[in-house]
Amino acid sequence: VKALTLNRLMWICASLLAVLFVTIVVALKVGAVPLSITDLALNLGRVILGREARIPSEYRLIIFDLRLPRIVLAMLVGGALSVSGTGFQALLRNPLADPYVLGVSSGGGVGAILALILAPRYPLVTPLAAFLGAIATIAAVYFLGRRKGQLDSTTLLLAGIISASFLAAVISFLVTTLAGRDLRGIVFWLMGDLSTPLQPALYWVLVAGIILGVGAIYTTAADLNVITTGEREAIHLGVDVTRVKLVVYVSASLLTGLAVSVSGAIGYVGLLVPHAMRMLFGSDYRVLIPTSLIGGAIAVVAADTLARTVMKPTELPVGAVTAILGAPFFIYLLRRRLP
Amino acid sequence: MRTSYHRRILGATALCAIAAIVAGAQTTPPVPPRVTRGNGDNAKAAPLVVKDEAGRTVEIPQPVKRIISLAPSVTETIYALGLQDRLIADTDACDFPPAAQKLPKVGGPFTPNLEVIVSMKPDLVVVAANSGNRKETADALDLLHVPTYATNANTVDDVLISIARLGDVLGAGEQGRALSESLRVRLQDLHRRLEHTTPTRIFFVVWHEPLMSIGQDTYIADAMRRAGAESVIPIKEGYPRVSWEEVVRAQPEYLVFGSSRPEEITAMMANVRNLPGWRDLKAVEENKVVIVNDGINSPAPRIVDAIEELARRVHPEAFVDVPPTPVSVAHPMIELAKNALARAAVVAK
Repeated sequence: VKALTLNRLMWICASLLAVLFVTIVVALKVGAVPLSITDLALNLGRVILGREARIPSEYRLIIFDLRLPRIVLAMLVGGALSVSGTGFQALLRNPLADPYVLGVSSGGGVGAILALILAPRYPLVTPLAAFLGAIATIAAVYFLGRRKGQLDSTTLLLAGIISASFLAAVISFLVTTLAGRDLRGIVFWLMGDLSTPLQPALYWVLVAGIILGVGAIYTTAADLNVITTGEREAIHLGVDVTRVKLVVYVSASLLTGLAVSVSGAIGYVGLLVPHAMRMLFGSDYRVLIPTSLIGGAIAVVAADTLARTVMKPTELPVGAVTAILGAPFFIYLLRRRLP
Repeated sequence: MRTSYHRRILGATALCAIAAIVAGAQTTPPVPPRVTRGNGDNAKAAPLVVKDEAGRTVEIPQPVKRIISLAPSVTETIYALGLQDRLIADTDACDFPPAAQKLPKVGGPFTPNLEVIVSMKPDLVVVAANSGNRKETADALDLLHVPTYATNANTVDDVLISIARLGDVLGAGEQGRALSESLRVRLQDLHRRLEHTTPTRIFFVVWHEPLMSIGQDTYIADAMRRAGAESVIPIKEGYPRVSWEEVVRAQPEYLVFGSSRPEEITAMMANVRNLPGWRDLKAVEENKVVIVNDGINSPAPRIVDAIEELARRVHPEAFVDVPPTPVSVAHPMIELAKNALARAAVVAK
């Protein structure tokens, strides 16, 4: 582990934030409706100067009601998934772990389908039900994954994988038997999709939850560094391993649940971004967690921009883009690590 | 020392968090005022407030001059009402009438591009709640304050009512009622012809791999009944996957397909007719396969054409030997002619 100075961390974050800024500007500019960069600058300037009344209405709708909220949502979801992936990889000490490995997304899927069946008319019920489904799954996996009162990585992983495949079967069952109900939305939900604008209030819930989750994981960063060298050693060095594991488990689950509830299951982000950041900046969790947060935001904003534009005006689900790009990228990372 | 380092980091994180909240506040601005539309000088009528067919309350500015259709059935109906001049865009799936393919596109019915829709400043977006569009799309358009009207038809009668209502909403009530009435007259005529026939047992093939058919509560099954045919699949809702065993046991008299490209169905049938399942059906053996036009798949005026086509195929006896027309039934025939004239007038306009 390289010696960490605050200076170095600041530099790394600043450079990543610069990349994020450029990504956001590009994402704001491109889309099915072409906007010139001068118009974009002009209208953003108007907002900053408080002259919003002078913005032409179509710009207001397209930039401020559609593109910007969607970019913000992509950032939030990307950051949450990546930090959660970092957390699960540390917790399970398994490089293949990602936010969905413990069945959270399938649990969310069951929740969303039940909401679409039972209360199709109410807009906030689906994300809430998805979140509850995700949390219920996490709780179930937690109790299945304990051995002798301790969270055991292998048992937890197996419990998660089994729960995920069981819940995926439940989803298939529900979708097939309820073919007559209006479940078309569920396809998008299962693939991961950011195209549907959210109720404004949900952004606040997301921001608050993500600050809470990321903050909690970050407090364990130094301890995670020790735990990754071995649990026994960590205990000898005075780390409260049980507490750290619980904090990471609950926070990473909260982050995944939040992301799943608003965007469905966007694959590969939580798996790849932590790996990429580890290769770029080393495996110190004090660096890895903030860089994963920003890197995840960059990744999902970029992927969603592609989803919006490659086939315009038709949109692809962002989950399809992350999977198409993510799988080859993962292979690339894998090959690079080999001697 | 470690703690003080951590404090600084946490302080920085908290700052970032506050920045995020501020940024979040700016990205979700207060509800913007309703989009003001061009040509503001001519006096505008008060907006029409209606309950649409999905039960949503919609405020529709009057007159409706710029319409975007998000479903093939809606596009077809708007053309049939003679309102195509006001249709400014539709979807990739809108292929009837052929002229509709040339309109600007806003994406597919499942994946319409909201940016494009908003940028076209429509007075009204029309969606089909049960055939083509996602509920999320209508919800999203509501959030963006784009007036959105949903049609929803689960029976052939619903289709006729829906057409008349859409006419009313678009300020073409006269045309809507005339069109709806002409379709009703044709269906009544058909009903009279088929009154004493026994329903033919058919199997409607929605998709062949996996085998999918229609539920009894769908408008397609209702259209089958109007044509004197009855689906052998007892399942009620939706478009179920069905087992070959069930179909083979039921031995339908006809297989029915709805397609705009009958040659593709014929080619497909030639490929599969020796496969287990298909080869066990008497209907396949005797080549009793009916391909009606793809209007059957869409809750729009052409569904009546498809019903008539199917009726002629499965009940030829009701059409070759038309019973002598009694005086009492002459009246609807006159009305039929009258309606045909009215429809022609609408089309000409």
